[in-house]
Amino acid sequence: MEDSPHIPPVPATDPAEQYLVLLNEHERALAAYVHTLVPDRLDAEDILQSCKLTMWKQFSGFEPGTHFLAWARKIAFHQILNHRRGAKRKPLYSAEPAFLEAVAAEIDRVADSFSDRSEALHECLKRLPENQRRLVLLRYYEDHDIAAIARETDRTEAAVYKLLSRIRAALNDCVKSRLDSSAA
Amino acid sequence: MNFHDHIDRSLDGQLSEAEWTALQQAVIADPELRREYVEKRWLHALLESESASLPALLEEPQWVKPATVFRPAAWITAAAALALFAGSGILFYQSRPAPVVATLIEAENCRWAGSDLPTVEGAGLSAGTLALTEGMATIRFKSGATVTLEAPSVLEVESAMKCRLVEGSVVADVPESAHGFTIDTAKMEVIDLGTKFGVTTTPLGDSNVFVFEGEVKVKRDDLPEAKHVFAGKSLVSKAGATPEQTDQEVRRVEAPATSPGPGWMAVTTATGRGRDAFLRRGDGHGPTGAHPLLMVKHTDLAPNNERRALLSFDLAGIDRSALRAAKLALKIEPSGLGFSSLVPDSRFALYGVIDPVAAAWSESDLLWKSAGSLVDEPLASGSATRLAEFEIRKGSPNRLIEVHSDAFVDFLRSHPDEIISLLIVRETGESDQQGLVHAFASKEHPASPAPTLWLQTADHP
Repeated sequence: MEDSPHIPPVPATDPAEQYLVLLNEHERALAAYVHTLVPDRLDAEDILQSCKLTMWKQFSGFEPGTHFLAWARKIAFHQILNHRRGAKRKPLYSAEPAFLEAVAAEIDRVADSFSDRSEALHECLKRLPENQRRLVLLRYYEDHDIAAIARETDRTEAAVYKLLSRIRAALNDCVKSRLDSSAA
Repeated sequence: MNFHDHIDRSLDGQLSEAEWTALQQAVIADPELRREYVEKRWLHALLESESASLPALLEEPQWVKPATVFRPAAWITAAAALALFAGSGILFYQSRPAPVVATLIEAENCRWAGSDLPTVEGAGLSAGTLALTEGMATIRFKSGATVTLEAPSVLEVESAMKCRLVEGSVVADVPESAHGFTIDTAKMEVIDLGTKFGVTTTPLGDSNVFVFEGEVKVKRDDLPEAKHVFAGKSLVSKAGATPEQTDQEVRRVEAPATSPGPGWMAVTTATGRGRDAFLRRGDGHGPTGAHPLLMVKHTDLAPNNERRALLSFDLAGIDRSALRAAKLALKIEPSGLGFSSLVPDSRFALYGVIDPVAAAWSESDLLWKSAGSLVDEPLASGSATRLAEFEIRKGSPNRLIEVHSDAFVDFLRSHPDEIISLLIVRETGESDQQGLVHAFASKEHPASPAPTLWLQTADHP
């Protein structure tokens, strides 16, 4: 298995390989799920790591042929609740369990249509004008906050926030229209 | 309450704790808002969770930092990790062609030298160097910033938000979308804050920035803090130890390179008692007789920048009664002052000085205020006579120009003095105070031919 990072054409028999193949396929959607429910970025990344470990430990309980992502989401949701209870530091926005339940239910409702969004987003990112790309990189790649970006680009914080909101709205519109047109 | 805005603000940490609590309640209660929340969060989550792939997607290599935070996964065996990460890594870091960051939208009468970028109109430009020797070229960066390059100039395109002016003049027009657009020079870095501005730089390293509209920020290594420059203002940055002008006089002995043919003789302003200088209203620099450039400008906007050039040729011993033809050759030089894009094609007039008092000027003490009839506006017919006109087109190359006319020949033939003086006046004004100052090489110019009077007499048919 070491020499093939690609999804093999025939079903794998080794459980570790099966797991890796499935995880590879659904990892992006799972990451988006956790990041959607957990506002704190570092928390989300920690949860995602422990979630993958837990999933591997419980993989024998997964029935091949059933919905891997749905199964993974369930495990992730418990991880999120556990993490919330055991958190040593309080994040800026700590989510209430009732809120998490409501949002998780909404994601479950739309999740299958959302799993295509990653590809569409990549296409839409490529279409952004140059200066907006820079802002996306500063915000998401460099992980700078609004105040740091404002200093770096000589804008006011309000202007940076407005521009970021506009970029995200444009990306969302672009993603939706791409998915609509590919569905049609 | 506007919860749509709350959602956006929660993504950027702009929400207070109370607002966050209120938002949570609203999301629980309102299915429509819940839908919106999940949609916006999901996009934000994708950007966060796939941030490592953003630089490759956005194709700006100079922003890619090699060291990203990499958290080794503790849950998986080393071999499995290798297989997994090898797969995803290859997807993101393939080499790609240099991205196009700008377009050459206009290139009129251009001649290029040593450019490693395409120089045809409409060409896409990646990072690289443009060297313009003639004409004017306009580049639109992907950020929306437009930069007009005036020959002779060398510009390095770096990214959609940055270029570097090695030498020459550019005028930048920067819309709001390209806020932060930067022009770098050897001496300073000019950062746009929504504006129109010009930058010039000389091979010696002097840099000037002029702001036509809006505001720019200028960073210099020798200044602890960035300086803001506002509309109508300029900032001059002199290279460290370089004197403002060359003050040692270089007398030229060799004849100008381009002879019109046999039968012509050359007299330059360096010959005999020849002289050259320029007059500047306001006399800010004192007498200019030793200056390597003869600067000429006409402006109604900044009267103290008005400039006229004065040339005297020693024609002692030349039999002018037999003169058949004559022409004045001048080498155009970049003045390093002003921008040609702000001046239309320019018309100049050549006058012969008649007034004997004015003609007896001296290089060491000529000033505008003491120049008498030479600075009259208009020139009185009793003190100077109009001999010829010539035109220098916008962005035209810095070549040798020749001025001739029948009136010029008549003047040279009939003027009684051994030394004849000529005055060059620009008649075209400018649309902005920072319009180009035209310049010609003087006899002190280290590399270019001095103003030269070519004479053809009947003895040499």
